[in-house]
Amino acid sequence: MEGSDSVGQSGSDQPESPRRRQLDRLGREEAFYQFVNNLSNEDYRLMRDNNLLGTPGEATEDELFSRLQQIKDSPQQQNNTPNAENGEDPVEPPESFEDPASGDSLLDWLNTVRRTGNTTRTGHRGNQSWRAVSHTNPNSGDFRFSLEISVNRDLAELLILLLLLKGSSLEGQDVVANPPQVPMETEVVEESVVEELAVIVEPEPEVEEVVSQEILEPPSSPASLLAQRPLSPPRRGLRRPRSHSPEPRRTRARTARSRSPFNLDQLDSLSNQRHVHSSLGPSAATSNISVPQVEGSSRTRQHVLPRQGTTDGDVQPSRAAAESAPEVQNVTSQEGEAAVGDGGSTGRRPPTIMLDLQVRRVRPGEYRQRDSIASRTRSRSQNSNNTFLYESERGGFRRTFSRSERAGVRTYVSTIRIPIRRISDAGLGEATSMALQSMIRQIMTGFGELGYLMDSDSDSLDSNRGANTPADLADVLNNPGTTPAAAPTADVDDEPPVVAGVRARTAEIDVDEGLAAGPPASGGRARPRPPVSLEEPSSLPFLRLAHFFLLNDDDEDQPQGLTKEQIDNLSMRNFGESDALKTCSVCITEYAEGNKLRKLPCSHEYHVHCIDRWLSENSTCPICRRAVLVSANRESVV
Amino acid sequence: MQRASRLKRELQMLSSEPPPGITCWQTEERIDDLRAQIVGGTETPYEGGVFTLEINVPERYPFEPPKIRFLTPIYHPNIDNSGRICHDALKLPPKGAWKPSLNISTVLTSIQLLMAEPNPDDPLMADISSEFKYNKQLFEEKARKWTQEHAVQKNKVTARVSSSTLASDANTQTHPVA
Repeated sequence: MEGSDSVGQSGSDQPESPRRRQLDRLGREEAFYQFVNNLSNEDYRLMRDNNLLGTPGEATEDELFSRLQQIKDSPQQQNNTPNAENGEDPVEPPESFEDPASGDSLLDWLNTVRRTGNTTRTGHRGNQSWRAVSHTNPNSGDFRFSLEISVNRDLAELLILLLLLKGSSLEGQDVVANPPQVPMETEVVEESVVEELAVIVEPEPEVEEVVSQEILEPPSSPASLLAQRPLSPPRRGLRRPRSHSPEPRRTRARTARSRSPFNLDQLDSLSNQRHVHSSLGPSAATSNISVPQVEGSSRTRQHVLPRQGTTDGDVQPSRAAAESAPEVQNVTSQEGEAAVGDGGSTGRRPPTIMLDLQVRRVRPGEYRQRDSIASRTRSRSQNSNNTFLYESERGGFRRTFSRSERAGVRTYVSTIRIPIRRISDAGLGEATSMALQSMIRQIMTGFGELGYLMDSDSDSLDSNRGANTPADLADVLNNPGTTPAAAPTADVDDEPPVVAGVRARTAEIDVDEGLAAGPPASGGRARPRPPVSLEEPSSLPFLRLAHFFLLNDDDEDQPQGLTKEQIDNLSMRNFGESDALKTCSVCITEYAEGNKLRKLPCSHEYHVHCIDRWLSENSTCPICRRAVLVSANRESVV
Repeated sequence: MQRASRLKRELQMLSSEPPPGITCWQTEERIDDLRAQIVGGTETPYEGGVFTLEINVPERYPFEPPKIRFLTPIYHPNIDNSGRICHDALKLPPKGAWKPSLNISTVLTSIQLLMAEPNPDDPLMADISSEFKYNKQLFEEKARKWTQEHAVQKNKVTARVSSSTLASDANTQTHPVA
């Protein structure tokens, strides 16, 4: 929230009382320097790496101080890995996953998350700000964790990543009814360019029910479906279904349905969906399904559902659409499995956990609504010009990756569905642990996958841009780790009625981006994901992801900055009395005693906070333009 | 951002010791929206003209270069019809040469220099550029004409009042602070 708020403020306040604002700002900037000067090296690093410093003038000294205290007080959360990811904030969630990576600790972690209650954390780093929100419903046990990252590249553009983790209590309780509401996500979208990355891990139990019902019906009588959906108010849609047919829900895992952003397409594709349904049913479980649209729609639903509560008005149209959208296909594969297991038990969760990864970029003006999800849905549906979907299944895990693009909006969705044998039942038995572990891994993989994409891109950046070529895609697909079947794609919009088979055709070609998510991870429970190494400390997947998309879109000459490690390797000293008077040429301020200076290999000095920021995006000395990195490497070698 | 305090300092410097032929000031209390005027150099086709520029200081300044464009039409190989300037100091690396140690003043000075010495090898306006290269006389003629038409015009108004002096006189008059 802070991030967006501040953005909003700066936008709106400026015209009103610019002078006063400027004065305030100046005062805060002074305070900022003061504050930074007084920080110990560790504290400075701590704050910088956690993006707590923000930019001068942004926060008051008191705020900075409280941030520092906060982070110190909760070392386990942020400090544990001093250098790496936390700094990049966004990654936190994954990290946490990682730590507990063995055995029941995963469970612990999940439970911890669940118990954290409602908290919000925010931070800044460079031109990025992030906000992490966890929300727990004590009654239902549902929890949600969302992470948003916004990157302000230019004045005009804002990039937002949204990570959403949603789960219901691990215990066996039935959570069926309550759709988890997560208020927070909404706000994100204010900026012009938005990227959202959503990861949803969800035991399917609650929401899905609705879907199922709908789904069931459609196949048989499409017409009726159509009629029905529109009628129902968007939000309610979910519930309504529930009431109608409780059973269906359980049966099929609601797996995929709601998640997909594509819902809008549904209408068009209704007919298709049905087809899909039928067709999918049989094959889905084992092999990839190529029905992009359907999935999309189904997923959307889910998203929509939870959020609907939150946001109403704007989104309605889309919702309606969403509702109407058949969630059908999803049901097929996973649900089939799930259904088998659970069938009757009311309380049980569906056996599936969904992981959703979505990345989206929205251009300014695209939409401004509070509810990002809703908007997402909407835009999705309206525009899916270019949609491609990739699915693979392996070892009971099914993953889907899709991308759609339409004027200015590109959405990537990665969904992984993991059947879990009844988490609810047995407490945290062996099986459960396993399931959780695999789930986490999946999650990680998901990130990794994105990271992979990013990597490839960045590689291309450095060496060749070719990464995006079809060939790469092919590689990805062929990746041994990947699933056996993969490949279906479809342009949803364009050809609604087409059957799944047809759609398959498009996928590979469309994917110029190289986004074809490597399915690699999906299979593996424990095995480390190949292509992308999460371990790599300096490059957080999220950041790279952002980078990737940015690169993709506009300029490729995005300057490359140094990593934190590299920056930290540069020498640092305190400015002393004896030093000749000098001025930091970044802020044009004379050094004062006690200022922390960083000296680049070329001997030029700057305030640490000034130069660190520059170096995080550039690799040359601001005065002489000599490459900092090369020399730095040399030094370290010596 | 560092922007506020840094800009404050820069503006102070700009007003206390402005580079020759350049003025720069803040508009309407907005610190991120500046105006500047560059006097056409002597012995250039822009002599006698006063060129107004708009300076937009991005939020991330000084980590990003200021955005500068000419408001006054100018006939120049590296400046297009909408006033955009092709100048590497106005772009971020790796393409450009912006660095935080530059500032508004130095950038304006380098634009002044660019006016005096166009860079036809990195043209924004291909026609003008080839004209500059192969038919310099024509180029200068046109540039002078444009200068008279656009860059001197405003001054004429004030000049008229004080009995239609030439632009050179007007310059001094219109130049507030400098």
